[in-house]
Amino acid sequence: MWKEHYRVGSDLIDSQHQELFTRVANFIRVVQGDESWEERLSEVQSTLEFMEDYVVIHFADEEELQRQIGYPGLEKHAAIHAAFREEILKFAERVAAEGFDEEKVQEFGARVMTWLIMHVGKEDQKIGAFIRSQGGQP
Amino acid sequence: MRVEYINPFYKATIDVFRIMLNLDVKRGQLRAVEELVPVSEANVVIGVTGDLRGSLLYSFPKQMALDMVSIMAGMSMTKLDAFVSSALGEVANIISGNAVTYLAANELTCEISPPQVFVGTDGSLSMSTERAVVLPLITELGTLEVSISLHGRQN
Repeated sequence: MWKEHYRVGSDLIDSQHQELFTRVANFIRVVQGDESWEERLSEVQSTLEFMEDYVVIHFADEEELQRQIGYPGLEKHAAIHAAFREEILKFAERVAAEGFDEEKVQEFGARVMTWLIMHVGKEDQKIGAFIRSQGGQP
Repeated sequence: MRVEYINPFYKATIDVFRIMLNLDVKRGQLRAVEELVPVSEANVVIGVTGDLRGSLLYSFPKQMALDMVSIMAGMSMTKLDAFVSSALGEVANIISGNAVTYLAANELTCEISPPQVFVGTDGSLSMSTERAVVLPLITELGTLEVSISLHGRQN
């Protein structure tokens, strides 16, 4: 899933993005796998737990980078992060209450995949352009 | 329907397909239809409210839909299941959202409803009896047809 042109020019953020893409790709592989749902469920649960924690860490690091370089779009970007964090949290609460239904998890996987591609491919590229306009290194 | 309502969808699809799929989009010949009817297997309907009102229908041929989601997921998709359907719904939602942003630049403020996905080509399944303009968007994976049925307050 990860593409080289997704790089923004910060080693920390780029490696976190790669980790996110790898995790989401694995999540999709499990969600779309051939084994019975019961067999796949524990991996779905552990990936979801990982995502909940990892987006908090990654979004915080990325917002800190934006602060350090004086990125003008920080406020808007942070609001987008907050909305997505909320969405993941809501889904986690929903499956905790209602159980892990295969179709619900497939829909969630599709949502996370498209969100991640569009966010890193569009919004985060604006940070990369800003870094380059300031002379290259964050 | 005014051409100013159509171009934002073309522009938005070019952007979204380039970012999500690394795919070029060419515009085919526009045509007018009497109602919103799916032409291909995977269909997404999105409602529009605000300064413009109406519906949008994104109709993807099955293989194109599978190929698109395979590119995004980095793994091969073979059936139009909940994962593929939801991903198509998201893509149509993102295109529509971006198109609405372009419309806003022309002083038209609109909102879109969450996407509804329908699988199948039952020609009798009419989504709306309003007239529409069909915008064919040609890619090397196939042609996505976006039927646009939008009406302003004066027209």
